[in-house]
Amino acid sequence: MFGFGYGEGFPDHSIASVEPAGEGRILIRTSAADVGQGVQTVAVQIASEVLKLDPEHFEIVEGDTHTTQNAGSSSATRQTYFTGHAVKEAAEDLLGNIYHYASQEFTTNHPEMGTRDGRIFSHVNSDDEMTIWELKDRLANRGIELKGRGTFFPRTYKPDPETGQSEKVYVGYSYHTQVVEVVVDTVTGQVTVEKAYSAIDAGKAINPAGVEGQVEGGTAQGLGMALMEEQIIEEGRTLNPDMSRYLVPTAVDVPEVETVIVENEDTDGPFGAKGIGEPAMIATAPAIINAIYDAIGVRFYQLPVTPEKIKAALEQN
Amino acid sequence: MSTKYVGEKVTKVDACKKVTGEAKYTEDLVNDFSDLLHIRVLRTPHPHAYLREINLEPAREVAGVVEVFTAADFPELKEFGLIIKDQPVLVGIDQKMRYLGDALALVVAETDAAALQGRDRIELEIEELEVVDNPLRSMEQGCIQIHEDHEIEVTHYLDPEMCCDNILSDNYLDKGDVEKGFAEADLIVEREYQTQFVEQLPLQVEKGIADYDEESGEIIIWAASQWLHDTQADIAQAMGISKDKIRIKQPVIGGAFGKKEDISVHIHLALAARELKRPVQLIYNREESMIAQSKRHPQIIRHKTGVSSEGKLTAWQTKMIMDTGAYASSGPAVVRNAMFHCTGPYQVPNVRAACYAVYTNNTYCGAMRGFGATQMAFAYDSQMDVIARELEIDPADFRMRNAYQPGSTTPGGEKLELGVNVRETIARARRLSGWQEGDNNA
Amino acid sequence: MKITFTINNEERSLEVSSHQRLLDIIRKDLGLTAAKEGCGKGECGACTVLFNGEPVASCLVLAPQADGAEILTVEGLLSREGELHPLQQAFLDAGAVQCGFCIPGSIMTGYRLLQDNPEPEREEVCQALAGNICRCTGYQKIVDAIQLAARRMQAGGDSS
Repeated sequence: MFGFGYGEGFPDHSIASVEPAGEGRILIRTSAADVGQGVQTVAVQIASEVLKLDPEHFEIVEGDTHTTQNAGSSSATRQTYFTGHAVKEAAEDLLGNIYHYASQEFTTNHPEMGTRDGRIFSHVNSDDEMTIWELKDRLANRGIELKGRGTFFPRTYKPDPETGQSEKVYVGYSYHTQVVEVVVDTVTGQVTVEKAYSAIDAGKAINPAGVEGQVEGGTAQGLGMALMEEQIIEEGRTLNPDMSRYLVPTAVDVPEVETVIVENEDTDGPFGAKGIGEPAMIATAPAIINAIYDAIGVRFYQLPVTPEKIKAALEQN
Repeated sequence: MSTKYVGEKVTKVDACKKVTGEAKYTEDLVNDFSDLLHIRVLRTPHPHAYLREINLEPAREVAGVVEVFTAADFPELKEFGLIIKDQPVLVGIDQKMRYLGDALALVVAETDAAALQGRDRIELEIEELEVVDNPLRSMEQGCIQIHEDHEIEVTHYLDPEMCCDNILSDNYLDKGDVEKGFAEADLIVEREYQTQFVEQLPLQVEKGIADYDEESGEIIIWAASQWLHDTQADIAQAMGISKDKIRIKQPVIGGAFGKKEDISVHIHLALAARELKRPVQLIYNREESMIAQSKRHPQIIRHKTGVSSEGKLTAWQTKMIMDTGAYASSGPAVVRNAMFHCTGPYQVPNVRAACYAVYTNNTYCGAMRGFGATQMAFAYDSQMDVIARELEIDPADFRMRNAYQPGSTTPGGEKLELGVNVRETIARARRLSGWQEGDNNA
Repeated sequence: MKITFTINNEERSLEVSSHQRLLDIIRKDLGLTAAKEGCGKGECGACTVLFNGEPVASCLVLAPQADGAEILTVEGLLSREGELHPLQQAFLDAGAVQCGFCIPGSIMTGYRLLQDNPEPEREEVCQALAGNICRCTGYQKIVDAIQLAARRMQAGGDSS
């Protein structure tokens, strides 16, 4: 389980804008850092959905303190929820402005209009049709900038310092259950994680392959924490500051991960989505440690459980 | 909900450039500058010591060395940090170095080789202090204070004998009546769990370029940051200049996992670019990255859990001590995140917790995926397994019996209403893995 | 000293010093920045290129050793028309790219594997990739991508 967003009353928010640019292009401005998790893709999918326009039309303006506004951190499992929300609101704001100004151009009522694939049209008069970019140019002549802006600023409450109690500590909660199968070699102490089965509560997967990728990568990191990773610091000095002595899982160490995504669309997130980046990793280490107990009847209380520790424990028993 | 793009198979928007090599990560931008200077940082030789003297002359004599900067060059500098500003940009004379990553001098040279040579020639005189390398020692009476000006008022003492001088943050939970909950229990299980220093190890280490625009007085920085505007604000406050003079342009980022929340190359780059009015680069190597930048916090977690013979949790008490290393970084938030997740997704009517983040002279700890909750999950889900085995209940059934449902309350007292899908994830993972069906709804 | 070598089917001559690394001349002198440095010690695989047909960590090869060599990097995989190589396309389609820092190295390893073994088993792909560290993906989709490319290349008769 993971409570996402900074929570605890912190003024956590994200600001985005969506703006038609040159012919056929729409810019999404967000400073949300894409550290590989795919927030830029999620932003484009959401804007595409709202504006009914293929993803190819969208371009993300690279993060720049002077041309993009605060999107908060790519941490706390918050970007899909926060920036996804902000981009959705910005795209909706743009769509609202398109309807507003196009209805002036067409002299028509809002319900008599539609948009699709970058075209704006009137159901009443088939001559009344223009593209988003034509509208943008016409408005520019009138000194009006066509764009949409969105901010998402959910509330949480600071817990009581004595008791930690609060009406709302986190923005929301995501859940993940993982079952792993391990084989323990009782001679070498080597643990092989053969298979992992995950059920992750994503609310709604904006990008299902991205959700799977998070679970698979999180499983690898959880496996590392359970079985091999430790920066050894003695007397303040790191004894293994390189990748041949600090081992992380390689392609031969990781299990195949089978993932089901639970999608109940039951959150306040964009399209019912929740964040899943951190919950994707949390389940793995305890699952492996519990599976080792199941296999050899030895309970380990200190991580990582290296082959030496397993051998020593088996010799003791 | 019917959608056309959301929930559908799409190609990641940044992927094509990443498979062709066109994507520009920080280090790929260095070719855009013809006259880049190279910075190397002299870091501390000892994890806990006063700097008494520093002789830069031998470094300045190295051909190609342009300038060597120390704290003395920037009397206006303030300390930086994500939550508490306790980390020096450069350690000055008669100031303290608190871990092996603290910076003592910046050597700027025309080539990296000259910068390295210069760095290695700097002569130091230090006064060594006791190295406090674990949080239990740090909390003993008589232990040397790591942050000499640090003051804290600890309200709930874990142990009345403990020394609070090195406690960064103390945090408490009290929900229901934990004593009553233990009295109602048929079985009480108490266990201690321990986690290690983990390195986030993004494949790309810390790297950056900075340039100075004399006309606008803007310092432009190209370096990865998980939170652009927070990094900008921290640089500006440390340098005592207005935020709009610091412009950060985000290159493509080669992984982060929490490690790129903290300031790394940023302030050093900004200072050198402004002083020398030339573009500069600062590139860590893996060893420097592992020693100087944040780790996942090691935690010592003691869970005491009461449960009825029917397998219902009645009380949960958690004590946790966390090594935050030499500086606060995200520590004050990580310790609380761990605390609020102390029972995991399991409903417990009575919960009490006391959780401490404690300074040591180890490499400082900060954000890493899960932010304290990952360590706690190892502990609470091991604890649940221990209890299930003692009660001879199927471990999945035992979790199902106690898992949150709509209306459950968290240790923080928050009533859960929306999207409480933990039981469904247990059932689905169980079905997927072929775990034999047991008693799901007891 | 002056060295001459072929990189991505183009002959190049360069003045290099004896302590320069192949990775540096590729990235700096030739401006081919796909290959990345993750450790500088041959531990991570991010700088993998094909050197006389074999995958090597280019941070461990000295520039003078490249004299007369044939080198291939990810930049050399695009067709003349600029189309993606089936492996690159498969990495996109399988969703194998997250931060992307390890990807050029992993693609080169996959490229070499498929030359020898056009229909590798999952296990064999994992073995081949054991020297290419990825911290994001857990490798699953990278392995999927290499197997997908193998199937497509077999079907299309393309073994380049």
